[in-house]
Amino acid sequence: MKEVLNMAERKTKKEISSTKGTTTAVKKQAPAKLAIGEQPAAQKEARIGVFICHCGTNIAGSMDINAVQEYAKTIPNVGYVDNYKYMCSMPGQAVINKAIHDNKLTGVVVAACSPRLHEPTFRTATKEGGLNPFRFEMANIREQNSWVHMHDQEGSTEKAKDAIRIAVAKASLLEDLFPKSVPVEKAAMVVGAGIAGMQAALDLANAGIKTYLIEKTPTIGGRMSQLDKTFPTLDCSQCILTPKMVDVGRSPNIELMTYSEVESVEGYIGNFDVTIRKKARGVLTPAEAAAKGIVGGGCNGCGDCETACPVIQPNTFEEGMKPRKAIYIQHPQVVPLLYTIDKEACIKCEICVKVCGEKKAIDLNQEDEFVKVKVGTAIMAVGYDIFPIENKTEWGYKRYENVITSLEFERLICASGPTGGHMVRPSDGVAPKKVAFLLCAGSRDNTGIGKPYCSRFCCMYSLKHAHQLIEKMPGVQPYIFYMDIRSFGKMYEEFYYRIQDEGAKFIRGRVSNILEDPVSKNLMVFADDTLLDRPMKLEVDLVVLAAAVQPSADTNRTRKLFGVSCSMDGWLLEAHPKLNPCGTTTAGVFLAGACQGPKDIPDVVASAEGAASAASIPIHVGHVELEPYFAQCIEEKCAGCGMCVNLCPYTALALIEKDGRKVMQVTEAKCKGCGTCGGFCPGGAIWMNHFATPQIIAQIDAFLLGGEH
Amino acid sequence: MEAKHKYAFYLGCIAPNRYPGSEAAAIKTSRKLGIELVPLKGASCCPAPGAFGSIDLNVWYAMAARNLVLAEQMKMDIALLCNGCYKSIWEVNHKLKHHDELRDGVNEVLKTIDMEYKGSINVYHLAELMYDDKIVGPAKIRDSVTNPLTGARIAVHYGCHLIKPRKDREFEKTEILNTENPTWMEELVAALGATPVEYRQKMMCCGAGGGVRGYDIVHALDIANEKLINLKEANVDALTDICPFCQLQFDRGQIEIKEKFGVEYNLPVLHFCELLGLAQGMSPQDLALDLHGISCEPFLQKVL
Repeated sequence: MKEVLNMAERKTKKEISSTKGTTTAVKKQAPAKLAIGEQPAAQKEARIGVFICHCGTNIAGSMDINAVQEYAKTIPNVGYVDNYKYMCSMPGQAVINKAIHDNKLTGVVVAACSPRLHEPTFRTATKEGGLNPFRFEMANIREQNSWVHMHDQEGSTEKAKDAIRIAVAKASLLEDLFPKSVPVEKAAMVVGAGIAGMQAALDLANAGIKTYLIEKTPTIGGRMSQLDKTFPTLDCSQCILTPKMVDVGRSPNIELMTYSEVESVEGYIGNFDVTIRKKARGVLTPAEAAAKGIVGGGCNGCGDCETACPVIQPNTFEEGMKPRKAIYIQHPQVVPLLYTIDKEACIKCEICVKVCGEKKAIDLNQEDEFVKVKVGTAIMAVGYDIFPIENKTEWGYKRYENVITSLEFERLICASGPTGGHMVRPSDGVAPKKVAFLLCAGSRDNTGIGKPYCSRFCCMYSLKHAHQLIEKMPGVQPYIFYMDIRSFGKMYEEFYYRIQDEGAKFIRGRVSNILEDPVSKNLMVFADDTLLDRPMKLEVDLVVLAAAVQPSADTNRTRKLFGVSCSMDGWLLEAHPKLNPCGTTTAGVFLAGACQGPKDIPDVVASAEGAASAASIPIHVGHVELEPYFAQCIEEKCAGCGMCVNLCPYTALALIEKDGRKVMQVTEAKCKGCGTCGGFCPGGAIWMNHFATPQIIAQIDAFLLGGEH
Repeated sequence: MEAKHKYAFYLGCIAPNRYPGSEAAAIKTSRKLGIELVPLKGASCCPAPGAFGSIDLNVWYAMAARNLVLAEQMKMDIALLCNGCYKSIWEVNHKLKHHDELRDGVNEVLKTIDMEYKGSINVYHLAELMYDDKIVGPAKIRDSVTNPLTGARIAVHYGCHLIKPRKDREFEKTEILNTENPTWMEELVAALGATPVEYRQKMMCCGAGGGVRGYDIVHALDIANEKLINLKEANVDALTDICPFCQLQFDRGQIEIKEKFGVEYNLPVLHFCELLGLAQGMSPQDLALDLHGISCEPFLQKVL
């Protein structure tokens, strides 16, 4: 950067006149803005206050604050300079307040951390000092300076000078802006109806808010309904889940849309227009049948069609270990109790139509339907999938019959599962005697094949699995291969001790390889026992892989619709990992459950209740303030070419007829202030509030000209 | 057929000295598949990755770099037929390309013999080129076969150094990155008309590499013996490999196992190039199969 500056300085000496020419030419644009009715700040005498924060030693430890302060005094338009140990503290803010009054400042620059962190704080301080809050500009001298140039005192001092000079140049041209208040639609949407989505929807509904609950599969309940028991209390998962499922189905405030997906999202906080694709399930609900004039018709869940259907498919709910028909429900407790036709598998023999008879519930030619709803806020609760553990080839999943995943174990040990709860191994249907559990299967894996993170609930459910084996099948020996047992929750450590006492064997070591005996189909497990410091091998009948979890398949598509960011691993990103765990960077969109990262059921429910609470706030307040960063059209300059209308990613722009010619018009509430149109407009006819061309040119000049004008 | 692909052919030590048939087979069979192998004149030992790598890395880097420079001077990529050579030459090339300091150090040494490593070529194992359908591929191999090895049950020993450690390895065909249960060599064996056979502990080491054979022969043979037990169980006619050192361990090793442990297997062990040669109609004499420690006769009777 310094080199660039030196070059700029050299350039300044040679070509100052020409560059200066450009600057003046650009500045001439400002008067054009007068037509909109504002007085450009630069025309009054700008007096900017500069406040330099030490941030303890975060900033002051890496640069010479006094030198920066002395330099700031020499910057044009600067009327006051001060520094303080913590500018964000109450006394720090008081310094700003007092300086504005005493020195009749017209703008404020704080050189401190990032705007993301403290812009709201200093805007408030600016406002309390009597100025419009948008007369504030922040110079980031911490994240982008002292933290990255910690050992370059001289360099970071110079860089801070540059940052402040640039900020002052912009602050001198800032204008009064006024946030816009818009009403909030008194309805919410929850995407995903696993335990997270259901809990969030129930909370919103109980708070009196109309809630649309969207679920892509035919039934609500999600992963939790696949589980047999829950740790550490060992209560039956379905038993504690189904009452909630029934509540969701019955709540008058919840409009449940299963077998549906979000197709598109438009608008902004308070006013999201969401289009939902109701996938054709080929079966009519009683209400849909009534609407078609079929009296007493529609699906009542009798199941006659399923009995008659000749097509057999693997049941995904049972992890493919049980058959289902082409017309199916996933399990007996589904909500809504409504059959669905697997269109891929259906051969259209119409036997089901015949057995359904007078109910006329089956429509094989049904097509996808699109429903538009308007909501104020939305919660994403799209859950997780199991990592394809066959990618870790050394353990032979999908190659060896008796290597299964923990989710398959859940179904096999579950009384309503494919074997009626009889734990047998897949190769021969015989009950296993020795079972190895492999923890961190694909988790905490830095090979590039698995996932680097901890999947957080595998330790606990594997302990539970060991307990279930010991309890149900006396004489069976579980072996648990682990790296660390992470039993961090309430009553979790106690559960760990209990399983140790019950006789499960714990071996600290990762399994390097598994080999199958071609005849007996038994498995030889090779590992390094790191507590005894020796390699070991163990022959077992069954291996259970506690496979890592990853974001569900549809997460990426859905998150883009809502404008939510994700981490490198694909998990959805919260606005702040500690202090805003439910919010996202898109106002009005919140996160619940394991779509944010692996979470066990208690954490999921807590996060869902948090998200529901956060999503209900704007709805209860009734209106939200939007940042006034929208684009404005300078109509005298607008040629009506319409290029900007096509470029706008938020459909905020339109061409209208005015005084016999076409001009562009901005829907301010829709505009996000991205600047795409403003940067493109060939006639310079678009004024970006707070990021206006003269303001940005002034910043560039301040940098390149090194403060000379 | 006109050779579309030219490589500097790095021979290594064991192939030309103990199993000269592999060398002959590599050159002749490749030519029929559109690959011309040009002798890399003046090449030294790779040097052996286990022996040299365990004692003095700088010697390992410098000697391998010298071999690389010879190929750079020919402006040709290297092809070789031994996993050990692959480990040395490929890995040193990879390291020198990515670590400037290391390269400078090596060039310091090479300067004394007026050489400079530039990093301008790549290194390939012949087996990898055989499997890559942009170069050869199983289909083209199948087409080149005039004497299909029909009915022969052949097991594959992959060896370690070609595919492990997986971390930095780069192959055109991602199938080769499967370190735990690869099956691409089986595809090549099937292309010769033979029946590839799976067996217990397929990916276990031969026992020779890493200096084990030189340092503790009984231990090394014990490992080979375990593999031979598993191979016998699978009832195979021959074992094929892509590494002359593995070949030596299994072939001559059987004689030593007989002496030391008193067990006899008489399992013919052939480099894949030798198998390919047979399938393309080369005679056992051309392939010098009589130089093998274990007679290939029963196998030859089955396939010829």
